Amino acid sequence: MMAQATRSRSKLFWDVASYALLLLLAFICIAPIVWTFLTSIKFEADIVTREMHYIPPRVTFENYVRLWNQSSYPVLVLNSLVVTSVTVLICLFTGTIASYAFSRFQFRGRTELMLGYLVVRMFPAVLMIIPLFIVMRQVGLLDSTIGLAIAYTSFLLPLFVWMLKGFFDAAPKELESAARIDGTTRLGAMFRIVIPIARNGLLATCVFVAIAAWNEFLFALMLTTSQGSRTWPVGLQLMVGEFQLPWGMLAAGGMISILPVVVLFAIVQRAMVAGITAGAVKG
Amino acid sequence: MSRTFLPAPYGPPRTVWDRINPVRLIGELSETRYWMYLLLLPSALLITAVVLYPTLYGMQMSFREMRLNRPDLGTGFVGLRHYERMLSDPVFWVSLRNTAVWVTFSIVIEFVVGLIAALALNRNLPGTKVLAVLILLPYFLPNVVAGHMWALMLDPRLGVINDLLVRIGLLEGYKAWFADPGTAMAAAIVVEAWHSFPFFTLLLLAGLKGIPTDLYKAADIDGAGPFAQLRLITLPMLRTIIAAAVILRVIGLVNSPDLLLILTSGGPGRSTQVLSLYAFQTAYRDFNFGYAGALSVVMFVFLMVFAWAYIRITKVNQE
Amino acid sequence: MSTLTLRGVRKSFGLLEVLHNVDLELEDGGFLVLLGPSGCGKSTLLSIIAGLEPASGGDVLIGERVVNDVHPKDRNIAMVFQSYALYPTMTVERNMGFGLEMRGVPTAERDGKVLDAARLLQVEHLLARKPGQLSGGQRQRVAMGRAIVRDPELFLFDEPLSNLDAKLRVEMRTEIKRLHDRLGTTVVYVTHDQVEAMTLGTRVAVMREGVIQQLADPQTIYDRPANMFVAGFIGSPAMNFISGVLEAGPGGPAFVYEAGRLRLSLPEPAMPRGVAMGRPVILGTRPEHLTLGSGSAARLSGTIDVVEPTGPDTMVVAMIGGQPVTARLPPRVALRPGEPVELAVDTSALNFFDPESGERL
Repeated sequence: MMAQATRSRSKLFWDVASYALLLLLAFICIAPIVWTFLTSIKFEADIVTREMHYIPPRVTFENYVRLWNQSSYPVLVLNSLVVTSVTVLICLFTGTIASYAFSRFQFRGRTELMLGYLVVRMFPAVLMIIPLFIVMRQVGLLDSTIGLAIAYTSFLLPLFVWMLKGFFDAAPKELESAARIDGTTRLGAMFRIVIPIARNGLLATCVFVAIAAWNEFLFALMLTTSQGSRTWPVGLQLMVGEFQLPWGMLAAGGMISILPVVVLFAIVQRAMVAGITAGAVKG
Repeated sequence: MSRTFLPAPYGPPRTVWDRINPVRLIGELSETRYWMYLLLLPSALLITAVVLYPTLYGMQMSFREMRLNRPDLGTGFVGLRHYERMLSDPVFWVSLRNTAVWVTFSIVIEFVVGLIAALALNRNLPGTKVLAVLILLPYFLPNVVAGHMWALMLDPRLGVINDLLVRIGLLEGYKAWFADPGTAMAAAIVVEAWHSFPFFTLLLLAGLKGIPTDLYKAADIDGAGPFAQLRLITLPMLRTIIAAAVILRVIGLVNSPDLLLILTSGGPGRSTQVLSLYAFQTAYRDFNFGYAGALSVVMFVFLMVFAWAYIRITKVNQE
Repeated sequence: MSTLTLRGVRKSFGLLEVLHNVDLELEDGGFLVLLGPSGCGKSTLLSIIAGLEPASGGDVLIGERVVNDVHPKDRNIAMVFQSYALYPTMTVERNMGFGLEMRGVPTAERDGKVLDAARLLQVEHLLARKPGQLSGGQRQRVAMGRAIVRDPELFLFDEPLSNLDAKLRVEMRTEIKRLHDRLGTTVVYVTHDQVEAMTLGTRVAVMREGVIQQLADPQTIYDRPANMFVAGFIGSPAMNFISGVLEAGPGGPAFVYEAGRLRLSLPEPAMPRGVAMGRPVILGTRPEHLTLGSGSAARLSGTIDVVEPTGPDTMVVAMIGGQPVTARLPPRVALRPGEPVELAVDTSALNFFDPESGERL
């Protein structure tokens, strides 16, 4: 009886502590986002003041409108969309089948190759960027959205393959055997049976790669040099440096650019979390 | 002597279309023994082209003179000159020291906060699913935005954090966190920890879900308290996943200069100059590709040695 | 006519040979069970028969046709898998008809066949559901239905009951037997469960380390096991083994055990043929061939170790010659551990094995 009471009291203590802790952490995690949003809807005069306004005294969408109409932001966003889409497409076409091969077949060199796909993530970005710069310039892909997307596959394709493999592994191998006895080829078994089963995982993997490509900064900074292919992270950073971008507009730019990330993350959050974990754990 | 196994999935081609139908042809190909290699070929070629070739190129570049802004110097072979220069380059040594500080403190904070969050979330209390989403969100935000959000909050003139700290009396007046060599690194580490601790939460949470609850029941009966359970059950059971997470995160911290580039560009002075940032700036600003290559190679070697030693020490490969 | 013939089938993965020269023949309408512990090569053999994996050597014939290089779908077979391998994205109806769909069978004909099979297996009310909405037993039925729809020459079952709970397993075992009796198709059935092998098979092949140890009808395998492995693998509780020596004594031939101190007199017909006297042998006797009784000439003496009532029988483990021997005795025997016991042996059902090779003498 006594032990029971102590135990439930201790459980209550830890429950309360957990709630308090999680609320605090959640607050710390979203406070910068909330503050940035509040800044983005303030007038510049209310941002740069002697007395700090926690709640905007007046609300305006001027910052968004000005950023969108008077800067190159729409072009930057468009470029980022192109780069992101091309990156995802390349990963989808080359990575899906590679991941499938790793998941479904035993063959000579499999372990070594899989390890290789993991180790390439250790290569310093800077070490790759410089030669990529030289090579891209030689083949005329420097300062192009396609070239940047290809460069992104250097770290996103291995990630894509590992993450997706976790989802393929979850589908029993007997399915292909059943399908082949039913009359499909291996190709048919892959496209008609296994890939449809892994479609949620495939979606989550694509979203993860899309977010990473959308967010990427360093490669883009080095490999794009003009308006024609520059992506939004680089553009935003340069605007801060060159034009002393006002805080309100910078905040608005940040909010615009994280909107797709937040939406996508919210939609596929659960499957994606499972996938990242599977890929990382087996690695 | 192993036979070739080529069972024909279709009958013999009956029409011209059968002979040229790509689906049929690829389907036919998929029954050969080389199918898996064919599936791997596109990605392997791509990775060779965008990872292996550039990396090897970069490594050999580190033994050459290569300055984009000084074509007059040519691109001759200079042997180990870049590596020798590094030994007497004070910036290199400062960067090395800063890298160690940057990685160590970031990893420790991220791991501890990440573990606490994972343990709390793993209690599966009602309503914490939503909190989990909020807590994981920072990891998915772009470096550029994360950097500017914090720059805004830590701004010396209008930063909300300064304002709060002054109001509760922890600070005399507004402080320029990123302009003071004494606080710049610490401030950057806070931003980095905020951005990446969810990575640990994510992996550790998955690991926690894999621990059989019977173990905790047994420990309860044996009279082990919560801290003893953490030390004797949870952490040992998570060993592999902790090792994997730490290695992945260390690779990220050492290799990517993004956040520091955005927050401080290595300043003030050299107080936040890390190795990856130094290498990047040597390439991007000074166009000295040869020396930048050498710096990257050294960084890569350090990482390899670290990963090898870490796996050895934690003995994760025994499982 | 035989439906399935294997001639010298071999399989190796690198240097490791997992199947050595497997030969067997299965008559039309027969039910062959491949039985063995895990890792004995039985599932690999089934995959080779199905064409899912190539053999490293030898021939597979289905009917009169060598099918070594024939695609699985053209071998005229159907297979039921351990995990059922139902396509989770398709309805039960489409799952069952997928093989026909792939063969271009018109929809109307397909629907008819699917419905027939579904009726036969009592799953017609599940046709519109997805596999995820079915119970384990229902999935099992659908998986069998998918095989039946195709009306193949040969059915392959890969441990189909191992994912079911004990009660359902017995039920489905009966169901499979009933289906086989009714449809009369030829079946190859892989299992590690000796009860399934005994109840279902018309022929049983006991496998170990890639070699067929014995291929015979179930009763022969039970009564006259080819070696100690088969003898020990089939039957529960397992056959008892006692090592000793055959001797020609004054009162006729006898089996002498426990370093020559105890002897079991054997009548002439029970002696293995062509075995020299004075030779060390291992005597094998099944628990049900031991009874309580000191009257018989052929008896084993020892001490009771454990008494295990099971309801219909009581298993008594006695230490005889330092070796545990189990007897299946009637219920409610009044025996206690530590007591001496005399067990009469049914000498008409004795087995003798060579201690070196383990082969039957």
